[in-house]
Amino acid sequence: MFVAPVSTWVKFLIRNSNYQAYTMSKIIYIPDKLPTPPDQQPTVNVFAAVVEPQLINNLVRRLNQIAPLENLRHVKRVRKKHLGDGKTQIALILCLASENNCNLEVLSPCVQELVTSYKLSAFITKVCKEAATTKEEWEEQCKLWPTSYHPPTYNIDGITGFNEVDTQSIFGFMQLAIELAHSSSKSVVNAALIVDPSVKQVIASACDHHISSENASSSNANRETSFENWLKSISSHFDSNGSIIHGTLPSSSLLKTLKQSCSDVSCMYPLRWVNQPLIHSSTSCCWHPLRHAAIAAIESSASRDRRLFPTLETMGDKSVEVEHMGPLTNLAKRQKIDLENVKSKEKKVGTDAEGTYSKSGRPYLCTGYDIYLVWEPCIMCAMALVHQRVRRVFYAFPNPSHGALGSVHRLQGEKSLNHHYAVFRVLFHEDVL
Amino acid sequence: MDSAGSGEDCSSDTLGFMELAIQQAKLALQSLEVPVGCVIVEDGMVIATGRNRTTETRNATRHAEMEAIDILIEAWQRDGLSTSEVADKFSKCKLYVTCEPCIMCASALSIVGIKEVYYGCANDKFGGCGSILSLHLGSRESRTSGNGQGRGFKCTAGIMASEAVALFRSFYEQGNPNAPKPHRPLVNHQVDQ
Repeated sequence: MFVAPVSTWVKFLIRNSNYQAYTMSKIIYIPDKLPTPPDQQPTVNVFAAVVEPQLINNLVRRLNQIAPLENLRHVKRVRKKHLGDGKTQIALILCLASENNCNLEVLSPCVQELVTSYKLSAFITKVCKEAATTKEEWEEQCKLWPTSYHPPTYNIDGITGFNEVDTQSIFGFMQLAIELAHSSSKSVVNAALIVDPSVKQVIASACDHHISSENASSSNANRETSFENWLKSISSHFDSNGSIIHGTLPSSSLLKTLKQSCSDVSCMYPLRWVNQPLIHSSTSCCWHPLRHAAIAAIESSASRDRRLFPTLETMGDKSVEVEHMGPLTNLAKRQKIDLENVKSKEKKVGTDAEGTYSKSGRPYLCTGYDIYLVWEPCIMCAMALVHQRVRRVFYAFPNPSHGALGSVHRLQGEKSLNHHYAVFRVLFHEDVL
Repeated sequence: MDSAGSGEDCSSDTLGFMELAIQQAKLALQSLEVPVGCVIVEDGMVIATGRNRTTETRNATRHAEMEAIDILIEAWQRDGLSTSEVADKFSKCKLYVTCEPCIMCASALSIVGIKEVYYGCANDKFGGCGSILSLHLGSRESRTSGNGQGRGFKCTAGIMASEAVALFRSFYEQGNPNAPKPHRPLVNHQVDQ
């Protein structure tokens, strides 16, 4: 029959386009502060003066005492400028100038004294306020006044890039999240996957439950159950490093569908739960205006924690709590089985995961875990992820109207919070094209 | 606090409801939880109470406000209310909470469409009603289209704040014996590199 060759041909195409897809997909770090164009970096005014070379040492030593540039450590005190005729001109920063009053009379008495005794003629100039974070920024800064630049020499959780193995596994987990979001034919919702990156294991997964689709009460549950089964079935695709080797990326048509039909995504339309079509709530009580995918995934990982570690170790006497809990003793049995499953899984995966469960005991919230979201979370979900101590957030699509991790708010840069995660966007080829 | 009103029009009702919220916070304290409590009031009647349960549930999002909201949603769904009826109910409810709602809770309150919030002390680290963000003001977009960042709600700060602070103080003095010590060793993350 002619069917076979056609499907082979299609497979070949898919493989080819996936290769292209891989090379055109990337993981982008979403920084804590809004990036500014290199030539529009914030500046501050300083007083400077041209000085004779032989005075430099004395002046710098004295100025470092009376007017240290404390918040401008990246700024060089001295500027050497090559003039056209082979001569060099040396200038140095005297002190900070106020933004409004650039009158020389505002100089502090000590600096004023120095200016007078060395007969310096002070002038106002601009220097960049913050240290450069990229080479481009640094080159631009030096046009104003020389600064020093220290490129990051170590990799904080992928901020300066991911290696090939990590990249593959990040793409793989995001692919899983997209599958989950799309696994209902009725509507597209957000999906969340909490992952322990040290063993490349899915800890919890959930979809939006803020509204109910027509046959929601069954479909939502089924969807996730079948997804869990599916997850198990694909676990054989993880190679010895735990990375996903079957390596399919979402097709561009799937990505298009997702983007076009996102009106049911909780984080994008958080008030839509009010206007959902009337349903007989007696038969379905699965909608909840706040049960966005991330919130539901957090609850799922918390319940896994309670199931795997039913007693709080720090409370000492386990038997008391178990007795007190009465009918929950079954949980202990289940826990045993789960732990065995987990252990055998770990053996299969072949990573050094012993410490995760045996040495350090139960996890503390989601410390060390990553979360994969199809859409950038809203502010409620983003803050929930701070509370639950997630280590890294990956999302595929930005959320222009309510996104809290770069689009509308930038919660990861909120200094007052007691926990900070790193945020990345997994950009598939559809957006690059 | 310039964005949230301060509690000058403290009627005895307001104080009475806040006293009930403090009672909830004390229950949390007794259970070795961070002492925050709240009550939700409809037509002058307390219809839900909530207290922090983050340690017990190992879910750091189980704040007092979320607990109380969940009680109501569950009850109203059991009564067969539709989503618009639930929304209508929330729009008549006032929340009394001992500490300024965090960014997450403030957003949640705006999503469910609460009418009004009274709180005790400010929350300098996480506050979503004036301290860090001002989500109670809603967004310009939402005021015109009704479907923006979130609806705003009236917010009154400083009701019985010193009582709320005193509870925090005794919590931190007694320590948090439930705080689990096993922060995952960093070694784990480096192993698989």
